[in-house]
Amino acid sequence: MAQSATRIRTGRAPGAPHPIGQPLAALWSMRWVAVALGIVGWFVYYPILNNFLVSTTQQDIFTGEVTQVGLENYRRLASDPVVATAMWNNTAYALLSILFQVFGAFWLAAIIEGLQSDRWRAIWRAVYFIPSAISTTVTGLLFYFIYQPQIGILDGLMTGMGLGHLSRVWLGDSTTAIYAIIAMSQWQGFGYSTLLFSVAIQKIPQELFDAARMDGAGPLRQIWAITLPMTREMTGMMIIVTVTGAFQVFNEVMVMTAGGPNNSSQVLGTWLFEQGFNQNDMGYAAAIGSLVFGVTMLCGVAQLWYTRRRRVEA
Amino acid sequence: MKRSLMAAILAMTTTLAGSAMAQTLVADPAAEVKHEGTLKVMTKFGMQRLAPYFTDLAKAYEAAHPGVTIELIQEDDDSVKGKTKTLVASNAMPDIFFSWTGTWGGNFVRGSRAVDLTPVIGPGTEWGGKLASAAVDAFVYDGKNYGIPLYLDAKFMGYSKPAFAKAGVEVPTDLDGLLTACDKLRAAGYTPISIGNKEPWVGVHYVGQLLAYNVPREVLEKDFNPATATYDDPGYVAALEQFGQIAKRCTVGAAMNGISYQTAIQELSDGKAAMYYQEIIEFDSAASATTALKPEEFGFFRLPAPSGAKGDPEALEGAPEGYMISTASGNVPLALDFMRFVTSPENGKILSSPPYGQPSAVIGGADPVTMNPAVVGGLEDIARASYLIQWLDTVNHPKVAAAWLAGIQAYAGGDMSAEDVVASVRAAAEAAK
Repeated sequence: MAQSATRIRTGRAPGAPHPIGQPLAALWSMRWVAVALGIVGWFVYYPILNNFLVSTTQQDIFTGEVTQVGLENYRRLASDPVVATAMWNNTAYALLSILFQVFGAFWLAAIIEGLQSDRWRAIWRAVYFIPSAISTTVTGLLFYFIYQPQIGILDGLMTGMGLGHLSRVWLGDSTTAIYAIIAMSQWQGFGYSTLLFSVAIQKIPQELFDAARMDGAGPLRQIWAITLPMTREMTGMMIIVTVTGAFQVFNEVMVMTAGGPNNSSQVLGTWLFEQGFNQNDMGYAAAIGSLVFGVTMLCGVAQLWYTRRRRVEA
Repeated sequence: MKRSLMAAILAMTTTLAGSAMAQTLVADPAAEVKHEGTLKVMTKFGMQRLAPYFTDLAKAYEAAHPGVTIELIQEDDDSVKGKTKTLVASNAMPDIFFSWTGTWGGNFVRGSRAVDLTPVIGPGTEWGGKLASAAVDAFVYDGKNYGIPLYLDAKFMGYSKPAFAKAGVEVPTDLDGLLTACDKLRAAGYTPISIGNKEPWVGVHYVGQLLAYNVPREVLEKDFNPATATYDDPGYVAALEQFGQIAKRCTVGAAMNGISYQTAIQELSDGKAAMYYQEIIEFDSAASATTALKPEEFGFFRLPAPSGAKGDPEALEGAPEGYMISTASGNVPLALDFMRFVTSPENGKILSSPPYGQPSAVIGGADPVTMNPAVVGGLEDIARASYLIQWLDTVNHPKVAAAWLAGIQAYAGGDMSAEDVVASVRAAAEAAK
């Protein structure tokens, strides 16, 4: 049936040589994806290529003057102490986000989905998801007041608990600023990750849990032996999303500290913005952009490779 | 082959980028104004208190000229910097855009992004004669006029008269007097000076004024130019150390880096702090009918100069702020007509009076009857200043400005010494050559 349909469309018998030759036929068949490829190429791949070209130049945005400098901007990257700080901050962002937004969210989702009551499951999902629905700007302002050294409730609470000696100028201290921002980010992103894990857990066949229970497995054993392996693909995807997100972070830092004090909370995204739009150094900004691209690409490829090797089917 | 292909692509990119450079354009005073089309205007009046000024002006202009639509892009003091450069980089500058004086405005001139306004606002012109000449001159680059000043601005120490009375202190006349006053005010239960350095230009403004007191004017002017900058005058370290003394004895110290400037000014308005170092354009928001500190309880004085400093004790930190016309504008005559409307004496008076309190650069644009007396006094003080030192973060090359901003924040937080800050500024100036 399928063959006859093909014959009607092409007017050729199956297996008959193509009148315009095999390579041309293959090319002709690409017409169906050409538009999509064109759009993806123009909006995704061309900017990546162009960013690399710009990174080999020194540009003045006001005059439009462009000077070729080869790989000089990449040499600067290696010796720029703020880039080192930003790399560490992004890495810390990624590690802490994996800890809280992947593994923490997984355990929370497992606990919520283990509840017997449908109503309570729905309530807890909503409770944890609400912070994700608030804009980063609003969250930034909210946490600015929480961290404020004079009227902030964090220091007030700590003092009330007898921990006043641990109070800090959270956003104004170069040793704590980035961690204060990361903490805010976890608060905001935790619920979203939990919701995704909840969906993944709901897709696990109930028979597996029933069988495990009959074999005498307790809740922790069920999570370890069933939930964890059956959500490995989601975990892998969440790690990719979290790591790439951590290296592309911008809004949170811009709203809270703009990279200060003394560049201590700069991340690659904000340092790119500072160089390109405040210091009029677009070529160097593009080199930072290439660095971000390289790091996130490597993380993504490594994670995909690892996850596919360990996929478990129900 | 591959190498030549890469070279061709690079050359193409270079050509394309180079072609983005705008052409120099000179305003024609005889050009006919066609009251039709859309004008995009980027202001620095995005704050809630200020936003209605341009909104009302746009409505009034549109009502008078039904064929014209004014699209406002209203930014605030911080966001206008990033927004402007984003629009420049994408060749999407609005017809009329805000600009500071100094290197900031010079960038638009250097890149032929601003229309040469000399024939319409320069010496001997009717429009130029209606504006304060010092303000007009502040936008002169290479002998040509590029900006339309809207208001004058300068930095003063605003204070609460009731707090000073309660603590038994007089307005200090030198830096030691200020530090002593701070001790008394703290003993009386006040934060002597509220400060929020989360936005690092706040500390930079203190240091800018102290530099004018400690470093001779000709040395400053030389160092503002990256080509001649050396930053080896001992006055730089002295000014930073004086800022350190103020931070230690008068403010919350390192905690300033975690406080927003808006929170800090609120402390003065709420009567919790005795002083706040502010721009004249903030006088009306620091004390108003709705704040605990009433306008009649508000006073101001210049940041006191240290005794025996080697700079100019009569210098004042400040500059006019204004607007430029984009060379990419398709309707320069209409843009100029709108700015003539904005700078009419009637609109100047509205701008100078509460709730805006921005002392107009228009001659006859300030009416002492309707204005806050403190703003009137501030204007008189600006007129007496021997030298107006511009904001450090806009007069300097962006890399040097960034070094000042980061360095002073680090100094306030105890992460860098005064010598280290100056060394970082020197290095940035060297890199900017």
